[in-house]
Amino acid sequence: MPEFQFESLAAFFAMAPHGAFVWPVYFLGVVILGGLTWSMARQHARAIRLIRRNIEREEFDESET
Amino acid sequence: MSWRWFHQWGSPRWFYERAGRWQTVSGFIALILLIVGTVWGLGFAPVDYQQGHSYRIIYLHVPVAFLAQAMYAGMAVCAVVLFVWKMKIADVGIQALAVVGLAFTVLSLVSGAIWGKPTWGTYWVWDARLTSMLILAFLYLGVIGLRGAIAEPEQAGKACAILVLVGVINLPIIKYSVEWWNTLHQPASLKLTEKPAMPASMWVPLLVNIVGYYAAAFYLVFASMRAIVLHRERRASWVKEVVGRA
Repeated sequence: MPEFQFESLAAFFAMAPHGAFVWPVYFLGVVILGGLTWSMARQHARAIRLIRRNIEREEFDESET
Repeated sequence: MSWRWFHQWGSPRWFYERAGRWQTVSGFIALILLIVGTVWGLGFAPVDYQQGHSYRIIYLHVPVAFLAQAMYAGMAVCAVVLFVWKMKIADVGIQALAVVGLAFTVLSLVSGAIWGKPTWGTYWVWDARLTSMLILAFLYLGVIGLRGAIAEPEQAGKACAILVLVGVINLPIIKYSVEWWNTLHQPASLKLTEKPAMPASMWVPLLVNIVGYYAAAFYLVFASMRAIVLHRERRASWVKEVVGRA
């Protein structure tokens, strides 16, 4: 069973003397992966909205004629 | 041998429905493995005797660098499929892979630069590995820009496929740059053919994260491809049926 390599949580977050290098990398990773996930979901939702609008327009045109 | 499995990919509806399931499964696997691998790598893997804690950047840097190259190889496969079998889904694949691949390449470059500061004393050097990775980012940008610059979708797809195939030459350059030239960048951390130089307590969490990031990449590419398919096929009757059901 692997052991926790730090004496305390404070030491873990400090990761002395390299915390200032390690944490920004993982923060950026979360931002980029999260941003991509959000952007893909938005792209999908936008496509569905567009198609629904087209269907409504076609139905309206049919009812007019 | 039956080629039915391959020709099914030619149907946008088949792809859209299947990819929805693959997306859910890969997203779930990615979430679990990335949490386990990252927590293990950051908190439980032993400290490196030379680099200290800065080496923990490896648990993000190596998987995204692998993926940056794998996604370009994926685009090249799509380009070949587009030219040989003229499958529209291959063009969708190129479009989706370009965006996700660029994001992974940028993440690889930035994480490498940040790791370089405590290890080499500088964020950037014009060494062969770093420069060839930067060229990879420009190739991804070129594919995205070219698609945006050509109004006719079929022409844009073909032009992008040609650029992708020309750019494939950069992949072996990236891989062998650390052997062909004297570089600051270290040789590959993990090789399929050799026992890792690191102890298992270091490379097992790395392997977990590599699989996790691959699953995340599948999730993102499937999500993007489904949105693109829906938009391109918006006038097709099956799309109206699917959206009506949603």
